[in-house]
Amino acid sequence: MDQSAFILQQIVNAIFLGSIYALIALGYTMVYGIIELINFAHGELFTAGAFIGVIVLTGLQSFGFVESHFVISMIIVFGLAMAYVAVLGVAVEHVAYKPLRDSSRLAALLSALGMSIFLSNGMMLSQGVSDRAYPPVFGVQGIDIGGAIITNGQIFIVLLAIAMMIALQLFVHRTRLGKAMRATAQNRTMARMLGIDIDQTIRITFMIGPALGAAAGVMVGLHYGAVRFDMGFIFMIKAFAAAILGGIGSIPGAMIGGLTIGAIEVFWAAFLPSAWKDVTTFTVLILVLYFKPSGLLGESESEVRV
Amino acid sequence: MKRVAVIVMCLTLLLGVNSLVAAKTLKIGTLSPLTGPYAQDGTDIKQGVLTAVEVFGKIEGYDKVEVIPGDSACDGGKATMAANKLINSGVQIVVGAYCSSATEPAQIPLMEAKVVQITPASTNERLSSKGYKYFFRMPPRDDVQAWSTVEFLEKKLKAKTIALIDDKQTYTVGLTENIKKFAKLNNLVKIAAHEHITAGDSDFTAVLTKIKKINPDVVYMSVYQPEGSKMIQQARKLALKADFISEDAVYHPKFLEVGGKATEGVYLTFAKAPDTPERKAFVETYKKQWKADSIGSYAFYAYDAGMMALAAVKKCGTAEGDALQKTLRENTWQGVTGEIKFDDKGDRQLAHIVWVVKDNKFVPYWDPLTGKDL
Amino acid sequence: MVRQELKKLVIYGFFLAIIITPMVGFKNNDFDAARVLQTLAVLIGLLVLNLIVKLVRSKRPQRAPGHKAWGERVRERIEQIPKVFTLGGLILITAMFPVFADNYMIDVAITCLIYITLGLGLNIVVGLCGLLDLGYIAFYAVGAYTYSLLNLKLGLSFWAALPIGVVLGMTCGCIIGYPTLKMRGDYLAIVTLGFGEIIRLVLNNWDSLTAGPNGLFGMQRAALYYPTFQDGGLSWAVYNIKSLPSLYYLIYIIVILTIIGVRRLDNSRIGRAWVAIREDETAAELSGVPTTWIKLLAYALGAGFASVAGAFFAAKLSYTNPNFFLFMESCIVLCIVVLGGVGSIPGIIVAGIVLIAAPEIFRGLESYRMLAFGGIMTTMMVLKPEGLIPAKRHKREFIETKSNE
Repeated sequence: MDQSAFILQQIVNAIFLGSIYALIALGYTMVYGIIELINFAHGELFTAGAFIGVIVLTGLQSFGFVESHFVISMIIVFGLAMAYVAVLGVAVEHVAYKPLRDSSRLAALLSALGMSIFLSNGMMLSQGVSDRAYPPVFGVQGIDIGGAIITNGQIFIVLLAIAMMIALQLFVHRTRLGKAMRATAQNRTMARMLGIDIDQTIRITFMIGPALGAAAGVMVGLHYGAVRFDMGFIFMIKAFAAAILGGIGSIPGAMIGGLTIGAIEVFWAAFLPSAWKDVTTFTVLILVLYFKPSGLLGESESEVRV
Repeated sequence: MKRVAVIVMCLTLLLGVNSLVAAKTLKIGTLSPLTGPYAQDGTDIKQGVLTAVEVFGKIEGYDKVEVIPGDSACDGGKATMAANKLINSGVQIVVGAYCSSATEPAQIPLMEAKVVQITPASTNERLSSKGYKYFFRMPPRDDVQAWSTVEFLEKKLKAKTIALIDDKQTYTVGLTENIKKFAKLNNLVKIAAHEHITAGDSDFTAVLTKIKKINPDVVYMSVYQPEGSKMIQQARKLALKADFISEDAVYHPKFLEVGGKATEGVYLTFAKAPDTPERKAFVETYKKQWKADSIGSYAFYAYDAGMMALAAVKKCGTAEGDALQKTLRENTWQGVTGEIKFDDKGDRQLAHIVWVVKDNKFVPYWDPLTGKDL
Repeated sequence: MVRQELKKLVIYGFFLAIIITPMVGFKNNDFDAARVLQTLAVLIGLLVLNLIVKLVRSKRPQRAPGHKAWGERVRERIEQIPKVFTLGGLILITAMFPVFADNYMIDVAITCLIYITLGLGLNIVVGLCGLLDLGYIAFYAVGAYTYSLLNLKLGLSFWAALPIGVVLGMTCGCIIGYPTLKMRGDYLAIVTLGFGEIIRLVLNNWDSLTAGPNGLFGMQRAALYYPTFQDGGLSWAVYNIKSLPSLYYLIYIIVILTIIGVRRLDNSRIGRAWVAIREDETAAELSGVPTTWIKLLAYALGAGFASVAGAFFAAKLSYTNPNFFLFMESCIVLCIVVLGGVGSIPGIIVAGIVLIAAPEIFRGLESYRMLAFGGIMTTMMVLKPEGLIPAKRHKREFIETKSNE
């Protein structure tokens, strides 16, 4: 493997990992943008999506449906996972966050943390403590570009992630509901006065954010081959860092943040002592926030909260 | 201060004596992580001991045998709390703990209470080097396992270079450091790289690509099963052309299930599996009792620990710490992981053999003690 | 009114069922409807109880402003009794605890007290100064490792290493505090989280100094020196604080000193400056509060208390490992502060006991232990967002903001 192939391969690795982080980070950023709450349970919703994915996919594969109708089965798998997690997301919002909307932010934060512990242990009990294997849908076939290998699965997943992000961007900027969401994020009281149904808007945010997380969960399962009850945690920390790095509340920011975190992780491990990879990620994050406290694409503090 | 402590000690002693007189049940405690990321192995250990009690049946001098599970959560503070709780509930034998970082702090209260501790999983060398006479361990130490690996690399694979990957945990680092040490002795195998990953991560492509560039003969995966099964898949996708060798934490049926075709040809060091009727009986009972399709590797050690402890209690007629540890040390026991004979440190004289994955099954491959194929 | 509340309750119950059913109902693919119904019944029962209390309260005629609620009257009654009896009695009972408790209970109590110390320290940062800190456990690690290293490498005793550990912890607090001075709110959360992880990873990766993931083993216990008159001359005898009861008394004294310290800080000029920053930083700065220094001081003092707890923890176990200082531990300490009532010392003590002892009590639930822990945390917050025992100062603010709306 020569140097150029090596770098190319690492770029592929970074883009793939970054897109997954970005997709999860979107859920954080949307929820934060609208109710200013760090949704600690997001990592668990992501895992729940991955579990639904493996259950549905195993079911479909048991009668050979995946081989014969690949696209339809993917739509079913992603659709069901996203739908279930959207419902779960709304339920979590109603049960744990809505009663605390007027309380201190710390109380809401702890409620979210409690929900996260509850869901993660609930999944441990219901789905078992060990890995659940995803049926191998993609295999190892791929294309070879200048020595760098990209598998079919990676291409599929990255394209799907990009499509979802574009769809989200269009939704937020081109539709009435999206406009309502942006208005609520900017100033809740004002939005209410203008006749926007705040509860409805928040509910929709809690459907879309977790649904995107669920899609990321299925992707992780499909590519890495396994899901486990506690896998949400490490993705949560990284995606949370990505959301903040990009400027929390900003949708393009979450994408850029995700890709940046992915790139830092991959390239540090590729060229420098890999044990210090996570130290570097957090250091870069702190440095960025020190010099630009609102993140890469975030609006400055004064503009957001007047 | 001192007087208060003395009074308290007297009181607890009194209470302790009382409970001993009243007890007609033999209490065995288990210490293993029942919650958190290692809950799977922890549950295997608990179930292994329970199966042992079930299989052994009645024991003379006791009305019944009770198993009290303790959750060490792989954390020092929680492990000592759980150990103290077990001591208070009157256990005389403890099987555990799992993580070396939980076993080490738990050793102190257990030793002071003269409770026999048999670890089915912790392999750190330091554990048995402190002269605690109530401490026994079922699996071989880190350095013994590393020796098996290096022997295999030098004599069987005739490898020239090796890349090490560990996830910076007590167990995995213990192995890689020992491999480095043994490889330097003969200097036949060169350490081409030593990389680290984060436990719990899913994506190891950056490190694997780096290793692909170095192109070593062998890659040593010193990780746990969840990371191991993901790593091997990614290595195959990256078309990494090296032999893969791993250790007993990866020797788990889940590795084959998750890894699928990618695991084909991976070498692993693990205890030998003597083809005895006892082992078959254990496998059958365990599967039936826990409705399991397969058995986690630590369940074997835990089962052996339980069976051996019960046999020792039967032999010496008491579960009192001093007599029991003497009996355990002076006799040879038959277990499902082979013959069990302890040295004066409480370590077993046992070396792992090398297994290989063939047709999605673990198959014995090579014995480092004899240097012969199996 | 009742109808409306009932409708709300039904919707709430519906969503609750969505979450509970798959999480509690399934175990290894066997569905147990009874377990779901039981859990739901308990939770709905709690909510109904809460609703009834709320309705009864609202039905009662509006009281004159001077009138006080039942709970407050009890509080005042208790305060009328001389402090010698209430506080003294409490101290006496807790001090006698090891005499009639067994080793396991003492061990749990020691852990509770360690976490109470941590909670009181974090209370300075979160409760008084209003800065969110998700990496607080790092200072606990600094304390534990400082003592371990000083004892193992230089042979320093616990008492000699303690002040060094505190100074080092406070320095770390300032280092972490400094870049966060410009940030507000939730950016602080990730930065402190990041610092907490960095310190743990450094401890894990710096093999030559900290023995990495192997952990450090064999530190001496804290020792007491007392004079003896043997052989006609005065000499110093050593008593090692090793048994659980003696460890209990050591941490007990640490907790009492911490409580006194935090109380005095709270009522001092510095304490008032912290509260001013918490309420409105800009206004505080304009009123002449040196916000930079005061905030750094909050971080430093909070870190100092955590270092003391850390050193004690290392001496107790005679073992440290980077794995003991995970992010989850920071969360638990934060829970103690918020659950108890931000800024309230009795609240933190109660919450510390509840949170640390509860999982031990729930050991009977076995694998459902942590599930119950998470569920209770959320339920507590939903039912009582101001905490178990809200601080007086905070409670007043809570009422004021409510009336403003």
